[in-house]
Amino acid sequence: MSNTPFRSDQVVDELVQFNQNLSKGVKNLLDADEISAGVTPREEIYAEDKLKLYRYQPSIGVVQNKIPTLIVYALVNRPYMADIQENRSTIKGLLDTGQDIYLIDWGYPDRADKYLTLDDYINGYIDRCVDVMRERHGVDKVNILGICQGGVFSLCYTTLHQDKVKNLITMVTPVDCKTPDNMLSHWVQQMDIDAIVDAMGNLPGEMLNWTFLNLKPFQLMGQKYVSMVDIISDEKNVKNFMRMEKWIFDSPDQAGEAFRQFIKDFFQQNKLVEGGLKIGEHPVDIGDINIPILNIFAEQDHLVPPDASRAMRKLVGSKDYTELSFPGGHIGIYVSGKAQATVTPAISDWLNKRC
Amino acid sequence: MTESNPWAAQWFKAHQQFVDAWSDMAKSGVPGNSSQSDLWAQSFDLWRKACEGKAQPDMELAIRKCMDMGKEYFAMAEQVSKGLTTGANPVDAINQWLEQMKQSLQQFSGTPGFNGAGVNDFMKQWFAPNASWQEMVAGLTPMNQAMWQMPGMNTSVFNLGETIDPLGKVLEAPGVGYFREPQEKQQKGLQLALEYQEANFKFNQAFLNIALESIQGFQNRLLGLDGDNIPKSLRELYDLWVVVSEEHYCEFAMSEEYQTLYGDMVNRLMIMRRHYGEIADDFLRAMNLPNTREIDTMQERLQQVRRENFALKKEIKEIKAMLGQINARTAAAAKNAPAAKAAPVLKKAAVKKAVARKAKVTRAKAGA
Repeated sequence: MSNTPFRSDQVVDELVQFNQNLSKGVKNLLDADEISAGVTPREEIYAEDKLKLYRYQPSIGVVQNKIPTLIVYALVNRPYMADIQENRSTIKGLLDTGQDIYLIDWGYPDRADKYLTLDDYINGYIDRCVDVMRERHGVDKVNILGICQGGVFSLCYTTLHQDKVKNLITMVTPVDCKTPDNMLSHWVQQMDIDAIVDAMGNLPGEMLNWTFLNLKPFQLMGQKYVSMVDIISDEKNVKNFMRMEKWIFDSPDQAGEAFRQFIKDFFQQNKLVEGGLKIGEHPVDIGDINIPILNIFAEQDHLVPPDASRAMRKLVGSKDYTELSFPGGHIGIYVSGKAQATVTPAISDWLNKRC
Repeated sequence: MTESNPWAAQWFKAHQQFVDAWSDMAKSGVPGNSSQSDLWAQSFDLWRKACEGKAQPDMELAIRKCMDMGKEYFAMAEQVSKGLTTGANPVDAINQWLEQMKQSLQQFSGTPGFNGAGVNDFMKQWFAPNASWQEMVAGLTPMNQAMWQMPGMNTSVFNLGETIDPLGKVLEAPGVGYFREPQEKQQKGLQLALEYQEANFKFNQAFLNIALESIQGFQNRLLGLDGDNIPKSLRELYDLWVVVSEEHYCEFAMSEEYQTLYGDMVNRLMIMRRHYGEIADDFLRAMNLPNTREIDTMQERLQQVRRENFALKKEIKEIKAMLGQINARTAAAAKNAPAAKAAPVLKKAAVKKAVARKAKVTRAKAGA
């Protein structure tokens, strides 16, 4: 420590620079327009309750895969992370490489949706969206791409409706929820989920946000904003940073009954691994899945540790099972330049070989 | 927006002048004192207030966070530089700063009602989880906000020794007469509120202990560094502090102790909230107004009806498709066999019967 070149005037210079950046940054924030979310043109195909099924406008001059792909996102966040900005859009990348992309937007549940169960989401909403797509395209089966919690839903759906799914892709999907490094799961083990749902009705998005931020509080609530000062001092970066920020805090409430079952069955009782899972009246054993699966996970994922996703390999019955490991985090897997260059083309390549 | 708000623009200018003046003073070797730190804090607070309501809501939130963190970052810089300007070598200056932080935190150990308030600006980051928890809870609780300001309800004024004992006697008083049940429910509500406060207090104390451990860990880490790993700037020092703090936090957050403390705090809050929800329901029922229980019942029934509706729609669609296929097959067979007597197309009456049979089965299933 004796070699440290720390000097008083150096600290002062750093502070002055920091202050200048902060001044510029605040000015840029004050001058910035409202942040828009989602960039690729899309069309509403089907709506039910608060759900909307969108089809994204195909890229011009690209030969399209005849089998459309349905993206099933998590209930806990908004899906525009997959389409955050033009040069960092997983959806645009998939369109450009020939995929025909549909996406379920779950909307923002309110008290009237409190009694929506996992059965309603999986065997109701998803199944009806898949039927709409099958009918529109005159095909028996569609591809499904499930993200995070949406990946869990997709696994359950595929198990129960394998006759309607051609290929399954899961991204950052928790399968084994009790790996030793799973902080989220560790925290909920002693929680009285019934008391939470009974008291709150739906689970407020603010509570989920609090939980996610507290996985790494020093980085996510502190350091990020110190670094932000450097970033937003450049006007060009303000919108990109704020799009991410908007997404992080845009957490819909969770329908109470679905939340109750999700946390109990998957996080507390780990039923995808331990067995005994039922969606509605239907037993679910992902060992029954025998269609092609591409399982993608992020090596530095602090929400869904890679081992939680890797566990799928030993549990599914598919002989055509592929893993793709991405050297990044839970969010970088959609928005980073590296992901656009590697993950998106890999998905399309994998799909095109199987359709 | 600053273009349309010259007052805010003037503020930026004034703030920059303030920083420049401070910079000149600091570089000239004038020893730091507490008023400088206060000025920094006041400057940031005033700046923040000047910006309120001037930006888009998303931007305003980001500005608030930048300002808050800027303030904490400056607090760190000010404390470190204070040591440096007194002529101490860098190691001593940083150690002195860390020792001061330890002493400052130790004074809160065991303090009833401690919730992170009063901690110096920089160490506030260790109590950010609790501060944001309190903020969120206040927004979610069904009780009037005034209730949180009552003695014993607000963690910032909560005092175990002074509050629980006297209140305990009140809570143990037996209910009598016509209002026995409502009285008991109110007593139970207060008891549950105190239990939540207790759980929240234990959670905060555990954080305090880990924060102290993390300072020691940071000192040890700094002492073990050499060569290129030594922080060369204030920012590098801060980043290292984040790394070390996150490591200590992670270890704590993955422990059985954290799981129990956190689970207990959440559960007690939810049990209390559920109880007060029931009291609110009783009140609404007495006023002949709809309450949560009734709305829940309606929503649950409605959801069940919707499920049945979708199931029936699906079956009708399947039956229609089946009939279409039968009719198509029959028509095709009739066309392909002109010599033979054409098979009769399924008559409407037969179709009706088939549909009625199918619907009966569906209703029976739904009823079951």
